[in-house]
Amino acid sequence: MKSALRYVFALLALTAAVAPIYWLVTISIKRDIDQFAVPPLWFHFQPTARHYVESFSDGNLARSLWNSTFVASLSTVLALLVGVPAAYGLERLRWPRDWSQKIGFWILSTRMLPPIVTIVPLFLMLRGAGLLNSRLGLIIVYTAFNLPFVVWMMQGFFREIPRELEEAAMMDGDSRIGALVRVVLPVAKPGLAATVVFCLIVAWNEFLFALILTQTAASTTLPVAIASRVTQYEIKWGAMSAAGVVAMVPVLVFAGLAQRYLARGMSLGAVKG
Amino acid sequence: MIQTLRRSWPGVPWVAPTVVLLLALSIYPLVFSVKVSLTGPAGFSLANYARLVQDRLFLQALAQTLLYTAVALAIEFVLGLALALLIDSLGRGRALFRAGLLAPMLLPPVVVAVIWRLIYNPQFGVLNGTLRSLSINTSALTWTSGEGGALASVILVDVWEWTPFLFLLLSAGLQALPYEPLEAARMDGASSWQVFRDVVLPLLKPVMTLAILLRTMDLMRIFDQIFILTQGGPGFATETVSLYIYRTAFRFFNFGYAAAMSFLGLGLTIVFAKSLMRVMRVSK
Repeated sequence: MKSALRYVFALLALTAAVAPIYWLVTISIKRDIDQFAVPPLWFHFQPTARHYVESFSDGNLARSLWNSTFVASLSTVLALLVGVPAAYGLERLRWPRDWSQKIGFWILSTRMLPPIVTIVPLFLMLRGAGLLNSRLGLIIVYTAFNLPFVVWMMQGFFREIPRELEEAAMMDGDSRIGALVRVVLPVAKPGLAATVVFCLIVAWNEFLFALILTQTAASTTLPVAIASRVTQYEIKWGAMSAAGVVAMVPVLVFAGLAQRYLARGMSLGAVKG
Repeated sequence: MIQTLRRSWPGVPWVAPTVVLLLALSIYPLVFSVKVSLTGPAGFSLANYARLVQDRLFLQALAQTLLYTAVALAIEFVLGLALALLIDSLGRGRALFRAGLLAPMLLPPVVVAVIWRLIYNPQFGVLNGTLRSLSINTSALTWTSGEGGALASVILVDVWEWTPFLFLLLSAGLQALPYEPLEAARMDGASSWQVFRDVVLPLLKPVMTLAILLRTMDLMRIFDQIFILTQGGPGFATETVSLYIYRTAFRFFNFGYAAAMSFLGLGLTIVFAKSLMRVMRVSK
C-alpha cells in the first residue's frame, strides 16, 4: 500500500477515535443555543465556563468528585500495602514444590470472577457491618478488587530485579523488610508507579459496585453521580458534559504517565472495572 | 510445629494478608452465592436453575448477550488487527497515532455513555444533526431509542470503546515478533500477504488468543454502558444477562435466582474459554 494512503487511513481511524471525545468537550463549553445547532458547530462558537460552574456549584457533584478521589487513593494505598509484600514473598522466598505458582494463580483467578457473581453477598455483608452507603465499604471492596492485579504486576517487576542487590544489603545486616524497602522498591519504582496508576484508574472508573454499594448522595462516586444525571428525558447537556470532562481528564493524564506499561496492565484487566 | 512452618514456609506471613482478604471478599461471597442459588423455601432446591430454562425474558437476555458478544468481538478483532498492522507499518507519527487511538478504552464507561448520548439523541444529537445538514431525512433514525436499531447502536458504542484494546494487545504482539523468521521469509521471496499468513499470523496466535479471551470475558458481563445508555430498553431490546441479574437482585430482591443466572453466565464463559484454548492449541 502506498504510504500516503496509509496515513489517510490512519488519520480516519484517529478521527473516529478522538472526534466523539472532542465533541463532549465542545458541548461542555458551548452556550445552550449553540449545542444543537444544525449544521453542528465543531470549531466556531463562543466558549463559556458556565456549565462547569453550574454543575459543581450545587455541591453534590463536587462531593462525589471528592468521594471518588478519596476512595480511589485510599483503596490504592491499601492494595499496595497488602499486595506488594505478597508479590515479594511469592517471588523471592522459598516455597515447597510449586506452591508459589499455585498461590499466584489462585490469587489471579479471583480477579476473573465477574463482579455480578459476588456483588449480592458483598452487598449483604456490608449491610450487616453497617458499611453500606459508606466510603469505607467501597474502599474495602476496591482494595480486594485491585489486590490480585497488584500482586501479579509487582511479581513481574520484582522478577526483573537481580537478587544480588538485596542479598548484598542483607549481608550488610539489613533485614529482609529493610532490603525490600530500601533497596528493591527504589529499583522497582517505575513498575510501582505504573501499578499505582492502574489501580487509581480502575477505582476511579468503576461503576457497578459503586452503583449498588453507595446509593446516597453523600457517599457515592463521580461515575454514579453522573449516571444519575443522565435521565431519559430531561438532560442538562452542558452540565452533564462538564461533569464527564472532569471525570475523564485525570484518567487520560494518568494513562499518559503509564503509557509504557499499558499493554501489560490492560492485559491483566486494568482500567475497566 | 511453628519452627518447621517457619523453616519450610518462610513466605507465609508475607502472603497471608492477601490470602485472607481474598478469602473474605471473593471466595466467601462466591460460596455464599452458590448456597443461595441452591436454596428454596424448604431447604436444598434446584428450583432456581430449573426456572432459568423456562424464563423467556432471561433466555432473550442471554441470546442478546451472546449476539452482542459475537458481533462486537468479530468487528473489534478485525478492526483491531487491521489497525495494529496499519500503525505498525507507518514511519513517522506512530506514537501520536497510537496514543490517540487508545483514548476511548481509557475513559470511564459512564463518560463513554454520556458521549454517545450526545451523539445518538434523535432530536439533538450530532449524528442526526450532521445528517440533517446534508439534507438527509432523519425521522426514521432513532439509534438507541428505537427498538429496531438499539442493539446495533450499543454494539457500535462497544466497538468504538474497545477496538483500541484489541489494537493495543495486537500491536504489542506485533512489536514483540522475532525478527529472523520475517526476514528469512522475505529473503525467500514471499509476498507480503504470504509473510502475513504463514509467518505473522501463526506467531501472533498466543496474543490473539489472549486478546479474544479477555474481551469475551468482558463482553459476556457487559453492564455499565448499556445500563446508562438504554437501561436495557426500549422494551427489552438491549437487555443483557448482567442487567437482568441486576434487576432481579436489586429491584425484585430475588437473590437466589440472580445468583443462579450469574453462574450460568460464568459457566458459559468458562466453556467458551476452554474450547477457544483447545481450538487455538495454546496452553494457559
